[in-house]
Amino acid sequence: MESATGSSSSPELAEALHRLRSTLARLKAELELAQADGTPVPAERLLGDLNEALAILRAVEQSAFGTFTVLVVDDDARLAELTARGLRRLGYDAESAGALRDQQPRELIVFDLSLASGISETAKSALRAARPIVVTGATDPGSRALAASLNASDYLVKPVELNDLVAAIKRRVAVAR
Amino acid sequence: MTTKLLVVDDEPRTAEITAELLRRAGYAVEIAVSGSEALQRVRSNSPDLMLLDYEMPDMEAPEVLDSLRSGADRIAFPVIILTGARHAPGDQVLGIERGASDYIAKGTDRQVLLARVRGALRERAGESRVIVNGRLRIDLARGQAWLGENALKLERRPLLMLQFLAGRPGEVVGRAELLERVWGTSYSGFEHSIEQAVHEIRRALKEPGWIETVRGIGYRFVIQP
Repeated sequence: MESATGSSSSPELAEALHRLRSTLARLKAELELAQADGTPVPAERLLGDLNEALAILRAVEQSAFGTFTVLVVDDDARLAELTARGLRRLGYDAESAGALRDQQPRELIVFDLSLASGISETAKSALRAARPIVVTGATDPGSRALAASLNASDYLVKPVELNDLVAAIKRRVAVAR
Repeated sequence: MTTKLLVVDDEPRTAEITAELLRRAGYAVEIAVSGSEALQRVRSNSPDLMLLDYEMPDMEAPEVLDSLRSGADRIAFPVIILTGARHAPGDQVLGIERGASDYIAKGTDRQVLLARVRGALRERAGESRVIVNGRLRIDLARGQAWLGENALKLERRPLLMLQFLAGRPGEVVGRAELLERVWGTSYSGFEHSIEQAVHEIRRALKEPGWIETVRGIGYRFVIQP
């Protein structure tokens, strides 16, 4: 039987909820222990757990509502954040980063090609799997080939208007579905 | 002068802890625990920025935004909406159409919250001002600049850029900052938009010596004698 969110998302949702419960249980046990022993609360570890719980909750919400996050990665961090804000105003859940970081599930990546030379092979293969939207300042055939080598779903040349970026995001999402 | 923020959340503990984070970052923060209290506070003492909980029992964020506008075409200060749930795009667009500046999910890192507050304040700073510098006068509200008696023919972007540079005479303004302040949220990302704008400004001014290129960095509005 198909659920409202589609049959394919159910195992994902169940897995995320399972992880959420186990993280919260660990958090509770740590606090109970600290209370029983009268020892100081291990704040740093608990904060780590809470951050993990929030990240899982986000995965749950995205799975349940069928939404996703856009991560804008540009070596100009301010420009990346401006772009992310523009996307948020258009209703996207968008974040920015000045460098590539570990990818989250249901994250769509907008990647500035100038950062490509500085990333490890592992990061590169993760990026390839994510099918990024690649943005570049150069129009030479070399950068197009580089974008292709990153398995780019789209290739946009700066200056990129927000509308064009949104169109690329829509194309990328349509492909994923 | 200290920047005044208003935190609006129907859960007093949430409002208080958010306020505390912001106070520690140097802001003066007041709290309202309902939409109607928020409107009252704004009327008696307008903040520089409002953080507004989306879901409140008496009014949801779009309704508060509508009341804030009350006839004016825009809200006088930036509003960042805090959401307890990640909404479907439709809800966010609703907020945007009503004048919100940004969104943030509750539980987001405090550094991110502070960065978005700073971003929204920066974006709003310096708008709608009249700047006079030597014989140059810029009135953004009227979308016009004059050099002496001559009205300058400038499109919106070059005008904004001229206003921004003239507001900080003698200072080198970097490209990234120009993009942020003048081009706002579009991912225009590039040099040639800025160069084009500078070219148009120089052509409109018809005399050299107003805007200096600082190679590799940005531009400087020359202090006029």
